[in-house]
Amino acid sequence: MVREVSESCMDSLLTEIVSSYCNRFYVNKPELAARRIEAIGYQVGHQLTERYTIERPRFSDHLEAIKFICKDFWSELFKKQIDNLKTNHRVSFRPQILQLEVAIQTFWLLQGTFVLQDNKFRWLSHMSVDPSVDISGAGQEPFAMSENKSAQATSMHLYFPCGIIRGALSTLGIPCAVSADTSNLPACSFVIRIKV
Amino acid sequence: MQFFGGSEISPSPPLPTASGNNAHMMYIFNRNGVCLLYREWNRPLRTLDSNQDHKLMFGLLFSLKSLTAKMDPSSAEKGNLGVPQLPGQGCSFHSFRTNTYKLSFMESPSGIKIILVTHPKASDLRESLKYIYNLYVEYVVKNPLYTPGTPIRSELFNTTLDQYVRGLG
Repeated sequence: MVREVSESCMDSLLTEIVSSYCNRFYVNKPELAARRIEAIGYQVGHQLTERYTIERPRFSDHLEAIKFICKDFWSELFKKQIDNLKTNHRVSFRPQILQLEVAIQTFWLLQGTFVLQDNKFRWLSHMSVDPSVDISGAGQEPFAMSENKSAQATSMHLYFPCGIIRGALSTLGIPCAVSADTSNLPACSFVIRIKV
Repeated sequence: MQFFGGSEISPSPPLPTASGNNAHMMYIFNRNGVCLLYREWNRPLRTLDSNQDHKLMFGLLFSLKSLTAKMDPSSAEKGNLGVPQLPGQGCSFHSFRTNTYKLSFMESPSGIKIILVTHPKASDLRESLKYIYNLYVEYVVKNPLYTPGTPIRSELFNTTLDQYVRGLG
């Protein structure tokens, strides 16, 4: 039995989460607001992963888990898969080879970064910024500053999906740190750094 | 039928080509008269500065709506002329045409008014205006970075709108 929810309602809810935390609960403290939003995402990711992996066997290694996030998890959430997965993951963990274990462990400290790129991130598809810089009567705003403000506003909306990814991977037994980068809307890259 | 001059004296502008530019300009107002958007694609003559132009347009439509609703022969209500009406109350005026342009109008239940000025040979644009209203909902209302009641500054909205309007016949 699948229950459905209007997508417009979901979009409005997500917009309002960011708006409430930034403008009402933690005014002038964007780092705190970001952390709270990310924590909500963490819970959501945790619960969603429990639900979506209910009939699957355990993942054999980190790459399999990341591939699950890119394909099945992303399809359930955003109706599409990740378009591009980049990694500098070169060495896979072989516990039988004891004498190489130490060397491999140190390798892991340097590697274990994954970049997930979505070329049309659904939650950013309606977002758009000023086409031109307006020189309003109050004074001239340098182009860099207004760019920064819009970049900051956009990045606030990415803490929730970052939290979801972090929660999902933690549930699968992979502690990590996730950050996002939107240099060109609506494409979006999530950088996952796996903690050893 | 024109009493004060035939079409030879004030000829219509040249017929539009298939490649677009049939629309001259577009206004979007909200319920309070704030001009949210003004787009111009083809306007050879400008007589007023933009503030006055917007006020004139808003006032014109407000009066026209009021007038057409009061002159409605099928309605039984006999209110006074000039009483403000809720959107959707009374009959809804949707376009007027002169020999040089056609103005199409649509008001949403939330009070958003869309005005499109086109070539006089344009057909009924009510469906197009509804589509433009949909674009407004998708790219402006749902944009987290937009504050309602302020002028629209959205690149996505502008590009999609331009693309759509170029395709209008």
